[in-house]
Amino acid sequence: MNGEMSCEQFRELAPELAIEIADGQERDTALRHAATCPSCRQLVSELSTVVDDLLLLAPSHEPPPGFASRVVARISPPTARRRRAARPAARPVPEGRRWLRRLAVAASIVAALAVGAGAVYQSTASDRRLAASYREVLGQGHGSFFAAAPLRGPTGTVGTVFGYQGRPSWLFATVHLPNPGLQHFHVQLVTRGGRHVAAGSAVLGGTWDSWGAQIPMDLTQVTELRFIAADGQTTMVAYLNTNGPWGSG
Amino acid sequence: MRTLSDEALLAGLSSADPDATAAFVDRFQRRVYGMALSVLRDRQAAEEAAQEAFVRAWRHASTYDPRKGTVAAWLLMIARNVSISLLPSHRPYPVDPEVMLGLQDPEPSQDRDGQLAPVSEPIRKALMRLPAEQRQALVLAVFYGYTAREVSELGGLPVGTVKTRIRAALMRLRSELGVSDER
Repeated sequence: MNGEMSCEQFRELAPELAIEIADGQERDTALRHAATCPSCRQLVSELSTVVDDLLLLAPSHEPPPGFASRVVARISPPTARRRRAARPAARPVPEGRRWLRRLAVAASIVAALAVGAGAVYQSTASDRRLAASYREVLGQGHGSFFAAAPLRGPTGTVGTVFGYQGRPSWLFATVHLPNPGLQHFHVQLVTRGGRHVAAGSAVLGGTWDSWGAQIPMDLTQVTELRFIAADGQTTMVAYLNTNGPWGSG
Repeated sequence: MRTLSDEALLAGLSSADPDATAAFVDRFQRRVYGMALSVLRDRQAAEEAAQEAFVRAWRHASTYDPRKGTVAAWLLMIARNVSISLLPSHRPYPVDPEVMLGLQDPEPSQDRDGQLAPVSEPIRKALMRLPAEQRQALVLAVFYGYTAREVSELGGLPVGTVKTRIRAALMRLRSELGVSDER
């Protein structure tokens, strides 16, 4: 089975390829052949369809109690679980309003299909790689999503704010100030509840500058990042959409 | 949520949305656990395998290609592969494949959602029409991941004979079911 493979040899191996029991060397040789032979690709694809249908014959069996919860706990990001746990106990929904909830859930699913990982189904290979890379990066940092928003000053956009929801969450801003002199700012977060929380200070100036810090709360709680000049006036502000890809808050 | 397609729920799972994840798991947990239990025949190991299958589905959702098959089949293949990886190196001889699949039952058991019947009944009948030795070789390979060599060792047969049986069985099913690559 060294070297090139003929169509006849491929046809003999095709069932084992479809079942995924062919050994590595045979499989590699066969895949090289299939890459250049549409009819052999077609054959293995059709046999794979049969194998798929066979798998559906596997008997169903009720899993142990709590199985689904344990799976969800392994998959859902901690912040999402916390939000879920923090929700008030579910109250009976009047029949007439249940469709509203279903519609909201369906809308979120449709949104996910249109953006982010939902693009799985229509996206190009590079998009899929990007999505996989995105998840991997988030997984490395125990994060669940990134956010970004323009930072606006009196004369327009002066930079960009990036946010990371993870453990810990953080914010980072790149700033381009027209005035080359150094300026001192108090940095302030505004929460969903309207609380103002100090987040340190920043000395910015020159052409491009930056500020970054961990924040003492989930990014999902932050709605605004403000840079307040010494005179007490808000000089720059970014309005953050930090619901995350599935948030509703 | 029950009305959403399998593909839509998989998209939700890939984003780790708790509601979509819960719905996805609820929809497929009986099949995934059933597959794991059939292969491993140990409830604790089957739960471990089934959980891992869902986690891998979440991690690798981006690799799912709807043109290549259904979400259920894709997920069951993951469950099968995880289960096989958890088998001890000297894995036990599997239960009679025909018993495992309930092929001898006059009325096959249905999934709770009743989703299996339209797909599974024609192939179940076609499988039953195969010669017994072909059927057994095919089921051992598809559900237990036995290679042709392993099946040959189980049955004391030449590898070539087993390969021929598997090939003949799958080709015949393809022909009987009129499968074409139009998914």
